[in-house]
Amino acid sequence: MSQDQIFQTLKEVFVDVVPEVEIDRITLQDSMRDLGANSIDRAEIITETMEQLDIAVPMVSFAEARNIGDIVAVLAGEGA
Amino acid sequence: MERRSAGIEAINFYGGSTYVDVTELAQYRQLDNERFANLLMHEKSVALPFEDPVSFAVNAAKPLVDALAPEDRDRIEMLITCTESGIDFGKSISTYVHDHLGLSRNCRLFEVKNACFSGTAGFQNAVNFVLSQVSPGAKALVVATDMARFRVAEGGDALSEDWSFAEPSGGAGAVAMLVSDTPHIFSVDVGANGSYGYEVMDTCRPVPDSEAGNADLSLMSYLDCCEAAYRAYERRVDGVDYRTTFDYLSFHTPFGGMVKGAHRTMMRRICKAKAPAVEEDFGRRVAPGLAYCQRVGNIMGGTVFLNLLSTIAHGDFDAPRRIGIFSYGSGCCSEFYSGVATQGSRHRVRAMGIDKVLDDRYRLSIEQYLRLMKENDVIAFGTRNVELQLDVVPEVLDSIRGTGRLVLERINEFHREYAWI
Repeated sequence: MSQDQIFQTLKEVFVDVVPEVEIDRITLQDSMRDLGANSIDRAEIITETMEQLDIAVPMVSFAEARNIGDIVAVLAGEGA
Repeated sequence: MERRSAGIEAINFYGGSTYVDVTELAQYRQLDNERFANLLMHEKSVALPFEDPVSFAVNAAKPLVDALAPEDRDRIEMLITCTESGIDFGKSISTYVHDHLGLSRNCRLFEVKNACFSGTAGFQNAVNFVLSQVSPGAKALVVATDMARFRVAEGGDALSEDWSFAEPSGGAGAVAMLVSDTPHIFSVDVGANGSYGYEVMDTCRPVPDSEAGNADLSLMSYLDCCEAAYRAYERRVDGVDYRTTFDYLSFHTPFGGMVKGAHRTMMRRICKAKAPAVEEDFGRRVAPGLAYCQRVGNIMGGTVFLNLLSTIAHGDFDAPRRIGIFSYGSGCCSEFYSGVATQGSRHRVRAMGIDKVLDDRYRLSIEQYLRLMKENDVIAFGTRNVELQLDVVPEVLDSIRGTGRLVLERINEFHREYAWI
């Protein structure tokens, strides 16, 4: 699965969970925290993205992720 | 083979004498309030400087012990304290608790630790003691007692990030359970346990009187364990279905929002449920357990049992109901297990008057709360001698005088001396 496809899904899920953010504003360099997602939101966004893409990765793999690009990389199986 | 039963015969909770409104506290600390509401926290109990894990444990357990006939009290042959708020590396809190409860000296006393998993560790140990029938008819008293320490360990980025929610979520409380072969409150499904543990540095207490942690890592680990422990349970129990086998689900509750997130993850991953169904299921099977937890905060080892208490107090028990329990402790270890509660359980739990105990707590202003926090330094870990001042906040002292509770009076050459107030 391409990183673009993962990023697109993640963005759609993100604005579903945090509606205050406009989808076009989200970049790979942003951290979910800086965009206003708290720890519960962040976990929900990752879980839901995995569900939609049918990916299963242990959640602790994302603990070191510093921005959305890192999360996308983990989801794509390329590590953070 | 004869079917053996074991579980909780009686249960009680002590949640302190005071509380703060956590929304007010979050505002004062200038935490991001915009999304604070979805963390589902309302109030948290605050321990007074003259209360410690021993006094909390005794105050939780005393009503259970007092309700027993002397011959039954003498059948308490094991007392386990479960805590991450220990007051001594060697001497166990259970020895003080044993003394103040006046239990038989023919009793095994010890303490267990594994962060918030300690309560389950103690409970399962007690259940197995009863099931083993090495002393037929014997009872075990398990007391999970903890209180948050608020000074976050200084220095280092990884272990302090986003740790600000620790203060509003960290409560104080003790849950006491009498475990026996007459489980009036909660009868365990014998052998229906799924464990999952591995080494992770999520939250910890690496120095006395303080905590450190990575809140994100802890949440992620909790979520992983929630599924993995359930999968282990599933492999042992024939025909189990996450959605229909359990009438209620009791989760370890650091704060309500975390449980809501974990439940959502489980329903998405295991049941492939959609949002509206997840929400309905949450309200029906999970929310009853959060009611008390949202008023007390995270009491660590006892939290999962406070959730169980709340589930039994607020659920519908017209027929016997199966409750699935998920316990997690940082570091980490987790377990999914289950048992059955009945209408009789509900009557007994409600007779303990937990709502009134919570309603009767004194509401601290932020100013009073800060004064108490500062005063906590006088009983820092390792204090050799001190006389406790009971009237740091005089209004609080007035509100607890005559309640018959135990308080810490002094520390005399490391020995803790208590008095009934």
